Amino acid sequence: MKLAKRYLLLFVLPALILYTLFIIYPLINSLFLSLYSWPGVGEKTFVGLDNFRKVFSSGAFRNEVFNAFWHNVYFYILAASIEIGVGFFIALMLASKIKGARMFRNIVYIPNMIPLVLVGFMWSLYLNPQVGLVNQFLKLIGLGGLAQSWLGQESTALTTIILVNAWRNIGFYVLVLLAAILDINPSLLEAAYIDGASNWKIIWRIIFPLSFSTVRTLAILLFIWSFNVFDMIYALEGVQAGPYRSTDVLGTLFYRTAFGGLGSSAIDMGLGATITVFIFAIIMPVSIFYVYLVEKRQRSA
Amino acid sequence: MLTLTKYGKILVYTLLAIYATLVLVPFFMMVSNSFKSMRDIYLKPFSLPSELSLKNIIDAWNQAGIGRGYLNSLMIAGSAVVGIVIIASFFAFAISKYEFRGRRFLFIYSMLGLAFPARLAIIPIYLLLRNVNLTNSRLGLIIIYIAVNIPFSVFLLKNFIDGVPNELSEAARIDGANPLQIYRHVVLPLIKPAISIVSIVSFVNVWNDFFFPLIFINDRSKATITLAVSIFFGEYANRWNLLFTSLTLAIAPTIILFLIFSRQFIAGMTQGAIK
Repeated sequence: MKLAKRYLLLFVLPALILYTLFIIYPLINSLFLSLYSWPGVGEKTFVGLDNFRKVFSSGAFRNEVFNAFWHNVYFYILAASIEIGVGFFIALMLASKIKGARMFRNIVYIPNMIPLVLVGFMWSLYLNPQVGLVNQFLKLIGLGGLAQSWLGQESTALTTIILVNAWRNIGFYVLVLLAAILDINPSLLEAAYIDGASNWKIIWRIIFPLSFSTVRTLAILLFIWSFNVFDMIYALEGVQAGPYRSTDVLGTLFYRTAFGGLGSSAIDMGLGATITVFIFAIIMPVSIFYVYLVEKRQRSA
Repeated sequence: MLTLTKYGKILVYTLLAIYATLVLVPFFMMVSNSFKSMRDIYLKPFSLPSELSLKNIIDAWNQAGIGRGYLNSLMIAGSAVVGIVIIASFFAFAISKYEFRGRRFLFIYSMLGLAFPARLAIIPIYLLLRNVNLTNSRLGLIIIYIAVNIPFSVFLLKNFIDGVPNELSEAARIDGANPLQIYRHVVLPLIKPAISIVSIVSFVNVWNDFFFPLIFINDRSKATITLAVSIFFGEYANRWNLLFTSLTLAIAPTIILFLIFSRQFIAGMTQGAIK
């Protein structure tokens, strides 16, 4: 159908303007801003590629950026293994003929309804080394030797945060994977059972291949989200991402650089924008692949 | 569905029960500790509160600004959802049901936001809002949230509107309905499920967000619930009883709503951009 121009404007313009002005334009603008040094007020100083030089050639800032970057990589790998791996396993259990699957499904999803930052605060109380419940519980069951300062030592802090993150987010992955598993034509499974296939064989030969596209989509989304982690680190370790920056990610480094934080050096919005451009460059190929998949699916639907 | 043997069932139930315990115990402890005194939290962390005194609740409510936080979050999330639903469904309606130049481009263009988190653009957004005096303002947040939620909402709504038979809107047009009437009387009633999914998902997204309020809001009276509690945590780091209580208060509405509407919540979360 044809659409008269005034209606076209009415329907399309509001979304187009808001979206372009507040999402697309700012994303592009970050690119330009990364060429400046700017404390947020007063004059911007054009510095060309100096900010990028700070990120890539040697120096304290470079070390900080790559320290944070590797933490994001570690975050992704561990979070993906736990959230998608364990999530798939739980989804399989919930896709079995058992009573109460619906109740379990709701329980699994509850933490996901809670704001990340509040989940972080809750666990910061539980993980307190002296009076936190986690250590108290370990002592109670006679494993007091394992009690430690989970968030206070470099060796355990980041992994602990990833586990808390998984505790909160896994329900989402379970539900999406469960939906994918339940979408599989039941007659396929029945036929396999008649042929005498075991559950493991069915999982490996039928369920896994047929839900692989969902796993792939989740892996892509988790990649994008992993490079944007902030709330959980903020809640558990603050913007200094302690101990000794052992939990620093690009998100917290960005926040310190662009908006400041206790004890951090001078605010530089240009350098902050450079960090976002860096993140942008990392997730861009993956993001474009994702949009391509989404669009292809829409066309074939 | 997988069929389990008797032992398989026992194993699955055991594992699920362990997992459910891991999920529920922290919530249970949070509520339980929010009724205790500091002393009891330290000395008897796992025991039930000795009395159900409302003292902590009153203190935390007043000092953390919970009531104001609820109200601000409700106002911001509510307005944003109304804006998102209207603006995104208009857009999706036009690119789904009408032919005009650039509609395919517009669709792909609007999908880009699915893949690039708005956080990456926070500095220019901040400057933009500062230029028009909308930092430290609830209206500023509402506008940002509408923009941020457009890609996902358009994606989902377009999918649904595509499913509305063209014959229906064609017939309405021949009967003399204008596009706005077709939208209102033909399409809208048929995509109600999608509208409710978009509303739920975007409401939860906005309600749960912390990053944008952290950057945009300085004024305590305008803090959302997440921001109010985070300020409180900074200041009352040693008042554990109040910290637990403020968490319980901040989380309670979401959990209660979830328990009532779990079916819709779950449908909303799984019918997003994934599958």
